[in-house]
Amino acid sequence: MDKSRRKFLSTAAAATATATMMATTGHTSDRLGHNPDEMFSVLVDSTACIGCRKCEYACNKTHELADHPPAYFEDQTQLQLGRRPQHDAFTVVNAYEDKGAKEGEAYVKVQCMHCNDPACVSACLVGALTKESHGPVMYDTWKCMGCRYCLVACPFQIPAYEYHDVLTPRVRKCTFCTERLHEGKKPACVEICPNEALVFGTRKEMLDIAYGRISANPQRYQDHVYGEYEIGGTSWLYLARADFQTAGLPLLDNQSPAEITENIQHGLFKSFLPPLALYGLLGLIMHTSGQREKSEESTDA
Amino acid sequence: MKTILLGLLTLMFIVGSMSNVNSHEHPLRHLDCSECHTCDRPTAKEPCLIACPRIAAAHSTSKHSLKEAPDSMVLNTLENLYGPVAFNHKQHAEMSEMGFDCATCHHYSPAGEIPSCNECHPAEGISVNLSQPNLKGAYHRQCLGCHREWNHETKCIVCHEPERFTGAEDVVQDPTDILGISHPVITVPTKKVYDTPYDKGPKVTFYHNEHVDLFDLKCVDCHQEENCGYCHHLGKTTPVVKTMEEVHSICNDCHLEDKCSKCHGYEEKPPFTHDVSGWHLSKYHTDLECRNCHPTGKRISTMNGDCTNCHAGWNQSNFRHSVVGLQLDETHLEFECEDCHADLHYHQTPTCDNCHDDDHNYKKEPPGERL
Amino acid sequence: MHDHEYPMPIRVPFFTTGTKVLFGIVCLGLLAFAYRFVFGLGAATNLDNQYPWGIWIAVDVATGVALAAGGFTTAALVEIFHKEKYHAIVRPALLTALLGYTFVVIGLFGDLGRYYNVWHPMIPNMWQGNSALFEVGICVMIYLTVLYIEFIPIVVERFKGRVNFRGSLKSLNKITEFVLSIADTTLKKVTFLFIIAGVVLSCLHQSSLGTLMVIVPSKMHPLWYSPFLPLLFLLSAISVGFPMVIFESILASRSFKLPPEKKVLSSIAKYVPVLLTVYFIIRMLDLVYRDALGFIFTFDSYSIAFLIEMMVGVIFPIVMLFNPRVRRSMLGLFVSASAAVIGVVINRINVYLVAYQPLYSTESYFPSIFEIAVTIGLFSGLVLAYRVVVRIFPVISVDKTIYDSEMEKSMHLSKKSGQVTK
Repeated sequence: MDKSRRKFLSTAAAATATATMMATTGHTSDRLGHNPDEMFSVLVDSTACIGCRKCEYACNKTHELADHPPAYFEDQTQLQLGRRPQHDAFTVVNAYEDKGAKEGEAYVKVQCMHCNDPACVSACLVGALTKESHGPVMYDTWKCMGCRYCLVACPFQIPAYEYHDVLTPRVRKCTFCTERLHEGKKPACVEICPNEALVFGTRKEMLDIAYGRISANPQRYQDHVYGEYEIGGTSWLYLARADFQTAGLPLLDNQSPAEITENIQHGLFKSFLPPLALYGLLGLIMHTSGQREKSEESTDA
Repeated sequence: MKTILLGLLTLMFIVGSMSNVNSHEHPLRHLDCSECHTCDRPTAKEPCLIACPRIAAAHSTSKHSLKEAPDSMVLNTLENLYGPVAFNHKQHAEMSEMGFDCATCHHYSPAGEIPSCNECHPAEGISVNLSQPNLKGAYHRQCLGCHREWNHETKCIVCHEPERFTGAEDVVQDPTDILGISHPVITVPTKKVYDTPYDKGPKVTFYHNEHVDLFDLKCVDCHQEENCGYCHHLGKTTPVVKTMEEVHSICNDCHLEDKCSKCHGYEEKPPFTHDVSGWHLSKYHTDLECRNCHPTGKRISTMNGDCTNCHAGWNQSNFRHSVVGLQLDETHLEFECEDCHADLHYHQTPTCDNCHDDDHNYKKEPPGERL
Repeated sequence: MHDHEYPMPIRVPFFTTGTKVLFGIVCLGLLAFAYRFVFGLGAATNLDNQYPWGIWIAVDVATGVALAAGGFTTAALVEIFHKEKYHAIVRPALLTALLGYTFVVIGLFGDLGRYYNVWHPMIPNMWQGNSALFEVGICVMIYLTVLYIEFIPIVVERFKGRVNFRGSLKSLNKITEFVLSIADTTLKKVTFLFIIAGVVLSCLHQSSLGTLMVIVPSKMHPLWYSPFLPLLFLLSAISVGFPMVIFESILASRSFKLPPEKKVLSSIAKYVPVLLTVYFIIRMLDLVYRDALGFIFTFDSYSIAFLIEMMVGVIFPIVMLFNPRVRRSMLGLFVSASAAVIGVVINRINVYLVAYQPLYSTESYFPSIFEIAVTIGLFSGLVLAYRVVVRIFPVISVDKTIYDSEMEKSMHLSKKSGQVTK
């Protein structure tokens, strides 16, 4: 009851916010000034995923992560462990119950969602995390202080920390294979996916494909593209037959948490006026009460 | 002046492009547009095609028989992590026949030769049409669409030659693991004898080869939707057992009017001979396919034994009567057939009454020489 | 010098049984701290990707900052609202805040994975104004500076006219004296600027510590998650300021065998229930507004944590301190003030750890032995540092008669030494 109410409230708020945004800027740019339609995006069709873990393999090789033998990536029992992305594994595939599937289970790939309005970017106090206009959420090792607020803030619990590293621990997460994108290639996981459970393109194209698939196969899909609106939209989008929550994707409001926090922050710091006003007010009180004290003292005397 | 010219040119261009649109005859006009297009008004520029046009009616534009198809092929366009795939086309085709037909895989086959996958699904790069899988995706989806039904572990080496990925020494081939090796040869039985609980005839003899070879049944006629997944379904531990109703309903397609004893008996039944129908096939008929004489319907149609059922053009001048074992003498050779064979019932004994008033009998005094 | 305060260095022995125990704890804490720097966060803490923040943030930083709130609330009360009769507690509160924030920063050093980058928020091209943590960071840095500046007059008061380096450093005496006198004259003119700045900065970062958790609406229990967390954090910090002063003043007077500042403490205590009531009402209104009242009585671990927090930290002190008799009794004051302090500690732990529900955690977080050792070590270190500072600097006010006689003695002494150096 209360959840749905809250959801409604925040959705309404988000809708108004977007409407104002559109009205003021005149084109479809979001709160960060990007155009989500033109960002790179990946559509994860979990009904097409066969759980072969080749994406994990490709990610591991591309980013030179944990030193696993190839046989490790053939081990299908790993799918059942509910693994999470780690500092040495930016993406993992997990099995989840899907009664509609012939195997009785389906698979979902987990990695950074590359939110349109990322909480981690908003959280990072030194700007070590940034949302690029073409989609990726990037991490700058040099700026990072290692406070791990991004790990706290992430609504998908994605960033992983190199706790074992004594001197130079890093926050590690999917990079959207930015280097590959710059070379005009697809992300490594998308390229290797044998079943094309991953499709790569612009966000608008991905949404079109997603809704095309839903309308062509309504019994195969939930009528919802996860990530289209969740927390202000994400660059990675998901299709599934079973509940997205069964698939391990959290139930989230449409408003980005970054927006809530920043509204408070900017309210408190609007051009430094509120702090200055408080400063002035306190100064005034100090002055007047000081005068009163003095006059009281003089009358006492 | 310039503006007028420009305007005229634009007008011509518009008219031209419009007439272009009108003259474009869509090859699949007979289909419902929504089978292929997602939007209401597709244009050549933005056809808004749905992923893989799996057009229900399209495959009917061309029919291909299994005999045209290759037995096996090697899929090696995309070797990368794994080696190529040796693909047993015949086995797959036979299996698909039991399910649907070639369109199970060849979902788009317009008239003519079946197009190869990469004619629509490009092998390399970002495909032009994102909603259409690349060749790799197309291959894997096609195979895994069925394969993942039977096999929880979507092991790559079920189909692929493994060396490249894991290194040869990693591969341990377990001969009992049929997933690790290619599927054993599927043998077609000739005869099956079933023990049934039926008192008055516990043994049912079923000649598989007769049904396939003689009666010309297709696998799918009996094995409906019995493709691989029928047996190899995930979590299926016990073999599939059909109920009596199910078993009978398969046979009843043809044998509905037959008595129980047609199949049931105390003993194993002999194979089919045409004699059981009361019509011994002479040497000329034994070579024929059943359908040559019994052309109608699924069920073997009963015939009345009149030769003219098939041999409509026969008359006294072109029929060599000697083939029935009686060389007509000169006198009888002149007669019309129906002069002796009353009402053209050839299987009945001819009467001599038409000409001979006395009790002439064709058996006693044949109208020629018996051979 | 005010009529209401007679601060002077307290002459107490440094080593007592109590301080020896504390010293031992500090040593253990130092060892644990060293362990963290040698073997890394992974070895020293129970933190993981699900629980990136443990007690070093929840207790050392968040609670530490909240408990140091006495500094700015007292400063506001005395210096801004000119309630001069509370002057005696300004310096102890300032010292508590100063040491509190210093130890917060020390603790933070341990928690930061790349502690050597701690200066990054000072570099304008790395400023990230959208981040609540940036605000906390920058405000704490500036406020810590302000606190040290506010402390300079105390240093000046202690050493002005009494600088007496010996041996080879003798030549520095004159320069130091000069610096001290300059600092004295300039600071006298501008102290008020820093005092107001201190209050403003405190309001900002106390509330921003609450804003920190506003970014995780989906990962916090509704009893604590609220977009009004910044307001609630500010209010709870303000209301714990005086209880903290009371708590620490009574402890100090007992430890230093001085008579407690009965009148001042009883009087200041009357603000506490009022502030706590305001906090309580807003907290409840917030729960009503968010439809979260129902969660209070589910009696699961969250509801119990909430009930303990509110009973101990809010309702109990309110009920106790509205009673004038309790306010006059030192025991009553101490118990109620401690309850309010513990309440804030529980609140901060609840918000940062208990209410925080990671999405995919398989086991819940419990601090490692090293984390506990460091946290306890930091608090013990703070107490020891406090003891050291009050022995050197005039922080704690004493009775006027004692003050006068002591002053005379010291003047005499310094004159004598001055003569010797001549």
